[in-house]
Amino acid sequence: MSSLKELQDLIQEKYGIPPSELDPQASMREKGLDSLALAEFIFEIEDKFGIEVPDDNPNIDTLAELAALVDQVRAAKVA
Amino acid sequence: MGVAAPHGDDLEMLFAALMRGESAVHPVFPELPKPAAAATVDFDAARWFTKLQLAGVDRVSQLAVAAADLAMRDAGLDTHAVASERIGVFAGCGMGGAAALEAGYRGNGRVPPLTIPAFMPNAPASHVAMRHRAQGPVLTYSVACASSSLAIAEAAKAVQRGEVDVAIAGGSEALIVPGVVLAWQAMQTLAGFAPGEAATAVRPFAADRAGFALGEGAAFVILESADHARARGARRWATLSGWGSSCDATHLTKPDVEGQARALRAALHKAGLQPGDVGYCNAHGTATRIGDAVEFEALATVWGGELDRLRVSSTKALHGHLLGAAGALEAVITVMALQRRHLPPNAHCDVPDPACRLNLVRELGATAPQLEAAISSSFAFGGTNSVLLFTR
Repeated sequence: MSSLKELQDLIQEKYGIPPSELDPQASMREKGLDSLALAEFIFEIEDKFGIEVPDDNPNIDTLAELAALVDQVRAAKVA
Repeated sequence: MGVAAPHGDDLEMLFAALMRGESAVHPVFPELPKPAAAATVDFDAARWFTKLQLAGVDRVSQLAVAAADLAMRDAGLDTHAVASERIGVFAGCGMGGAAALEAGYRGNGRVPPLTIPAFMPNAPASHVAMRHRAQGPVLTYSVACASSSLAIAEAAKAVQRGEVDVAIAGGSEALIVPGVVLAWQAMQTLAGFAPGEAATAVRPFAADRAGFALGEGAAFVILESADHARARGARRWATLSGWGSSCDATHLTKPDVEGQARALRAALHKAGLQPGDVGYCNAHGTATRIGDAVEFEALATVWGGELDRLRVSSTKALHGHLLGAAGALEAVITVMALQRRHLPPNAHCDVPDPACRLNLVRELGATAPQLEAAISSSFAFGGTNSVLLFTR
């Protein structure tokens, strides 16, 4: 299962950025989602999926990378 | 000048509402054990922030950005360029991001990652600086109820010293959250009220006064030297001719006649004026039993035989006590009163306290055709007193 669509919906809901405006392969930072906004976004993701995203991530820069990480954590939770 | 205040963000409408004696104080948080009332701002953050920009920005900063932006537009500085290192921000704030802090405590152990930058009391000034690329001094003054009055005075000094060409000076406060309201209620300085009577709960200088109501909001003024304003053809609201401050250094919360008198005298002295030259005082007037009594004594001490010629009103009856932003909002109101020569009322004072023999503005629609100078006083917890003196 891919969390990408859910993340896109969440970004639209929380930050008003529609999926068409954020290419999953593009840098989120360049779209205005800097490290602070990203930290808050991950907090929201944790709330939404009831998961805990580990702190020690290699630099997540694209939505696709973030979705992959979230997929990983969700899968680990189920397993 | 610009405001994001309980009576709105339109200066004309704000002043008109005050002149009509309209109160913005209303009940809040019905779930609290003791009835609470406050004056809140009907604020649409979307006018100044995208949702993305709101991440980690507490309401206290949002209000500050709005008021400062409106002030810069009012001053015509949104379109007139000033070198960024010649712009400074001088902001008063009592508590910082109260909502962020409370959300952190109430999160059942889940604390939002941006709690600290949202809460820090210097955040409002920083956000204002970022909006206007103010790369000169960006300072925050946290002196309780005198914060933004002092911020304005310190900004004036910076302009006079030639440190900045333009100073964005004022303050913001947004602490109407349950935990903070409970804390204020615990101190027994907030006015109680019967059901349906929150709007008139605050009665400055009245015989039956019983304390104040909290308020939230932001207000900023743009200060520049006369030369700088003239050179760019700026419209001038008034001149900040004098300022005075002092510290009681006697008690943490009890006000002190001599301390307040020192600040009043210092402001007069700075402006080169005599008490009789000042026709209106926008009082600190929190409507506490001791506060109003001491303020009367301080005014009587300094004004002496001229006291009857000084018209006095506390507009906290109508907009609440904005704490860190009180000095700035009340300065804006004082400037408008001075410019129009119309005096806002000292509302809800059905029976004045005979011990506070002030020439209170009890009538609506009061005018002062000879008004040339007015003062705005802020006397804070912690003992710091600040008085601003404006002239036409």
